[in-house]
Amino acid sequence: MALLPFLVGLLTLALIYGLLALGLNLQYGVTGLLNFGHVAFFAIGAFTSALLTLPPKGSAAYLQAGAHYQIGLGWPVPVGFLLAGVAGGLLALLIGATSVRLSSHYLAIATFAMAEIVRSVLTNEDWLTRGEFGISNVPQPLKDTVIPASVYPYAYLAATAVVVAVLLALTVRLTESPYGRALRSVRDDEVAARSLGKRTPALKLGAFAVGGALAGFAGSLWTHSLGVVHVGQFVPIVTFQVWLAVLMGGSGNAYGALLGSLALMAITQSTRFLGDLPLLSGLTRRNPSFVPSLRFVLIGLLLIGVVRFFPRGILPERPRRPRRRAGPGRREGAGGEGSAGGQDHGGQDHGGQDHGGEDRGGEDRGGDAGGGLGDEAAGDAPPGEAKP
Amino acid sequence: MTAFLQTLIFGLATGAVISLSAVGLSLSYGVTRFINFSYGEFLTLGAYFTVLGVALGLSLPVAIVLAMAAVGIAGVALARVFFDPLMDRGFLPLLVTSVGLAFVLQNVVRMFAGSNPIRFPLPLMRPWHVGALFVPKVPVLVVVVALLAMIGVHLLLTLTRIGKMMRATSDNPALARASGISTARVLAATWFLSSAIGGLGGVLLAMTQIAVQPVMGWSFLLVVFAAVLLGGIGNPYGAMLGSLVVGLGIELGTTYLSPDYGHAFAFLILVLVLLLRPRGILRGAF
Repeated sequence: MALLPFLVGLLTLALIYGLLALGLNLQYGVTGLLNFGHVAFFAIGAFTSALLTLPPKGSAAYLQAGAHYQIGLGWPVPVGFLLAGVAGGLLALLIGATSVRLSSHYLAIATFAMAEIVRSVLTNEDWLTRGEFGISNVPQPLKDTVIPASVYPYAYLAATAVVVAVLLALTVRLTESPYGRALRSVRDDEVAARSLGKRTPALKLGAFAVGGALAGFAGSLWTHSLGVVHVGQFVPIVTFQVWLAVLMGGSGNAYGALLGSLALMAITQSTRFLGDLPLLSGLTRRNPSFVPSLRFVLIGLLLIGVVRFFPRGILPERPRRPRRRAGPGRREGAGGEGSAGGQDHGGQDHGGQDHGGEDRGGEDRGGDAGGGLGDEAAGDAPPGEAKP
Repeated sequence: MTAFLQTLIFGLATGAVISLSAVGLSLSYGVTRFINFSYGEFLTLGAYFTVLGVALGLSLPVAIVLAMAAVGIAGVALARVFFDPLMDRGFLPLLVTSVGLAFVLQNVVRMFAGSNPIRFPLPLMRPWHVGALFVPKVPVLVVVVALLAMIGVHLLLTLTRIGKMMRATSDNPALARASGISTARVLAATWFLSSAIGGLGGVLLAMTQIAVQPVMGWSFLLVVFAAVLLGGIGNPYGAMLGSLVVGLGIELGTTYLSPDYGHAFAFLILVLVLLLRPRGILRGAF
């Protein structure tokens, strides 16, 4: 098999996942929102873009392809791309408006559940999506007319790189602005941010929507690169692969998200060839799902390993001016003396809000050494459904 | 009317399966304080171990008991390897690790047992005839077993020493430690109990679904989450109540609204609960 096409495919995929990771990084890495349903925005973007750009039903191209879908508007691909972002953003706005106020655990479950609802709708409303069959003749812009099929993957890679670079620049610009600082303040200490007059629900919703829009763009890029869209592509493991990319790259760092996606794709795509190993090919003959399953096992182990041994990632978030509060209410971060971000924000700062404000909010975790002292701040944290 | 009663019976059985699994999940949440996304895989393992036991020539009840014990031990071992080292690092690492572990377990099952559904080795049972109503035996059996198991858990929590220690630790870990309870031991006991219950839940799930498949636990997980949150997280008694609502909701929704959506009704209930009553119907400690 040719190495160059493989690399081109890998890079294109890495860029598209990089865009997904960029969105999740804005939501989780910067703002601290646990989004376990990222794949829903990806799916909506893909279907929006596909349905808007497909040749209309009954047109010559439709008949020629022997297609069976109901809706195709035949709009240009750039319009589909933009509206895919809009759709992703709007869905995120809708989901976020209902759940962004929930505290972390609940938000994770709510987003996970809503992604499953979206998938369920996409599967069952087959008049729109053709359900499990999918739609296979999604237009690939300029193919055969301007760009010959032989070099098309290279051209698509170049275009994807430009699009991702622009979106990366815009995202970095956003997170380095005062708005980005406000988002980080929500992540680091929401109570403090609110007490300083920041409208934290609006900030969280904004980050959630922009992250959803980025995933929507990624969906559009993806569907046009494959020329195919079907529901089976949008399973929960996609979400967690993006999580793996963000955590591996270094959460809170946009460049890290891209690098993490590249690493993720290098790992997942190269493990496709596991079945060719002489040792495993015998097993593959007996159980055809052996090697695909083994790949998912590896992804799972990688997720576990990264969280456990490599929590700061390849490119950790740039340490910002540490703000230290004196007094016994705060323990020092477990990992970094000088860093205010990185892996700590999952633990320390959300700790107080994690279980939805039962009466015993102060007693956080069984293994928390000196928990009684360390959780004074947590005891004051708002309950899960806190409305300002 | 007959159809409604049939639906009700199946709804109760679904509710009972959810209920038992939700109790197990709540128990572990009460002590570990994180939501275990790999809990569904304990259900899958329980069902597969039972199928394996029967294939090896054991009788079904013996296979079920051994499978529960095996899942319990597996739960303790997995917790020791994967979760215990992260216990003081906050809940995000635990949450992500549990997702990773779910993928590992689910796909290890798939690697060895294949993706295709395997029939659960349940003997054929003729339904009872009550008037014009056919009462299938399997749902009734499922309800009875789940009820007995939950009564057992209740007695364990209220009467035995280890049960009281679990409740104390869940209520206030610092105070429990201060009064001389070995939290590590309680943690291990809780993991065993919660995983073993999950294993039994998986067996009952396999009975209601007739077959076992590697994704059965993972796809059932959200339904269990819905019940747990509806009942108030960390509260096993609330979980029982929440499960009844979710189980009936799924069956009634599937029968009367749209057969295609099935579990989506549970997710809808889940989302509504999160929006309207994030603390659940019953709040507080168990």
